[in-house]
Amino acid sequence: MIEDVSSDACSDVDTSPCWATQIILQEPTQQLPGVNLEAFSQAITAIQALRSSVTRVFDCLKDGMRNKETLEGREKGFVAAFQESLHSVSRDLGELERLSNLVGKPSENHPLHNSGLLSLDPVQDKTPLYSQLLQAYKWSNKLQYHAGLASGLLNQQSLKRSANQMGVSAKRRPKAQPTTLVLPPQYVDDVINRIDRMFPEMSIQLSRPNGTSAMLLVTLGKVLKVIVVMRSLFIDRTIVKGYNENVYTEDGKLDIWSKSNYQVFQKVTDHATTALLHYQLPQMPDVVVRSFMTWLRSYIKLFQAPCQRCGKFLQDGLPPTWRDFRTLEAFHDTCRQ
Amino acid sequence: MQQVPLPPPGAVPPRPSARPSADAHPRSVAQVPVAEGKSVQQTVELLTRKLELLGAEKQGTFCVDCETYHTAASTMGNQGQTGKLMYVMHNSEYPLSCFALFENGPCLIADANFDILMVKLKGFFQNAKANKIESRGTRYQYCDFLVKVGTVTMGPSARGISVEVEYCPCVIANDCWNLLMEFMQSFMGSHTPGIPSVFGTKHDSVYSPADTVVQYMELFNKIRKQQQVPVAGIR
Ligand SMILES: [Zn+2]
Repeated sequence: MIEDVSSDACSDVDTSPCWATQIILQEPTQQLPGVNLEAFSQAITAIQALRSSVTRVFDCLKDGMRNKETLEGREKGFVAAFQESLHSVSRDLGELERLSNLVGKPSENHPLHNSGLLSLDPVQDKTPLYSQLLQAYKWSNKLQYHAGLASGLLNQQSLKRSANQMGVSAKRRPKAQPTTLVLPPQYVDDVINRIDRMFPEMSIQLSRPNGTSAMLLVTLGKVLKVIVVMRSLFIDRTIVKGYNENVYTEDGKLDIWSKSNYQVFQKVTDHATTALLHYQLPQMPDVVVRSFMTWLRSYIKLFQAPCQRCGKFLQDGLPPTWRDFRTLEAFHDTCRQ
Repeated sequence: MQQVPLPPPGAVPPRPSARPSADAHPRSVAQVPVAEGKSVQQTVELLTRKLELLGAEKQGTFCVDCETYHTAASTMGNQGQTGKLMYVMHNSEYPLSCFALFENGPCLIADANFDILMVKLKGFFQNAKANKIESRGTRYQYCDFLVKVGTVTMGPSARGISVEVEYCPCVIANDCWNLLMEFMQSFMGSHTPGIPSVFGTKHDSVYSPADTVVQYMELFNKIRKQQQVPVAGIR
């Protein structure tokens, strides 16, 4: 029954004010805090009036000059009618503005602002928007809280390998961009170019096959190739392959999914993924990328360096695939502390 | 002689059916002497058992053969000068290729139908059929290593044992020599060979398929010069 009433109301007001009238008709007795319902309904009437007077202006323009005996008469009549309709538009607009001040601002008291009004939706069962909204709100609140905690913890830890310099550079640096996910591509290019120039035995090819996210193909000497998938300046994923392994798919794109055919590079891929988790410094993503690349570069001696613990080259058929995050020394996976 | 186009150094001949494992990775080819009081076959079994204990898995078979040609007398300039020997070799790892090489000389990588060309050239190069030598055996895979233990036969008799060890993830021979050696020690013990001469000359360039064939040629020449294995040792 209620729905019938509201849909009737909708039919003659159409579009925008529809929802507002629905609320009023639906809950006539419930007083919204800080809302003048009387002014509200007057305002809706004023909107209707404004709409019809605007329509009249365009009707007047559409009809043009009416038949009059003289040309002068015709022009005069048209101008007068046009003026009259414009006046009524301005009058109705003034009235609406006056009423809108009286309506008040319900949103300010509601913790969810205007979205709080969704709780008044009569068709709760069909569109459970409000409960979903509340859940999303709680979730995002919690996320923000946890992210804050995590950021605090990570800052205390700082970057292990360069902890000493960090104290200095952190003071010098202005507290860097908090929204590092939206760094301009040019900035990312610059950071990568600088790293590329830092290490002569390492070449980095940057491409953007899928929009703004960069992909790097790092070639380290004649030892290995690494595909690095970036999101802004954060490294999302990395795959290590042999120097002579194919890194492209059949259609010529970088193949970011298939793993190396060799056990040694599968192992190095695992360690590189661990390294991504180790080198974390949300405020300074460029330092993170540089540290990761410095660590990666130590694999130039993958087949030549004996294990620093057992002194051997092979263990279970694999060379020392682990590189210490701080000292970059080579260890077998099972020989690291 | 017709020039057969040579692939760029270090590149695998660009043939569609070349198996992926046929890529050029550093390999060491060495001879293992027959164990005292054992036959060639028994020594091979000893070796492969050690490999299997290590965890290596059988992965098919292989064959490398070598035919010797000498320059025909009619083409010789001076009387009494011995002709240069040319070897034509096949390696089952490169089923579509044929390798033609001189001792210490250049190595030519050609298509497999190079053999037919040699038949046409018999006026210049004569096949010393009795000198045909080959190594056949089983391929083993252990981690990223490929091991081929072969019995070297010349005519009807088994003349020795060849062991080829390849480290597939690597492309620079000198990078992984220590690693290869340590692996070979684990099943060849005191018979682990020294660094192959082709490794020494490569420095940091990429290992090529020809390097393997040269090592087999050297091994075959060594075995040819050796005394035949005592009759008691042959089954
Ligand atoms: Zn170790």
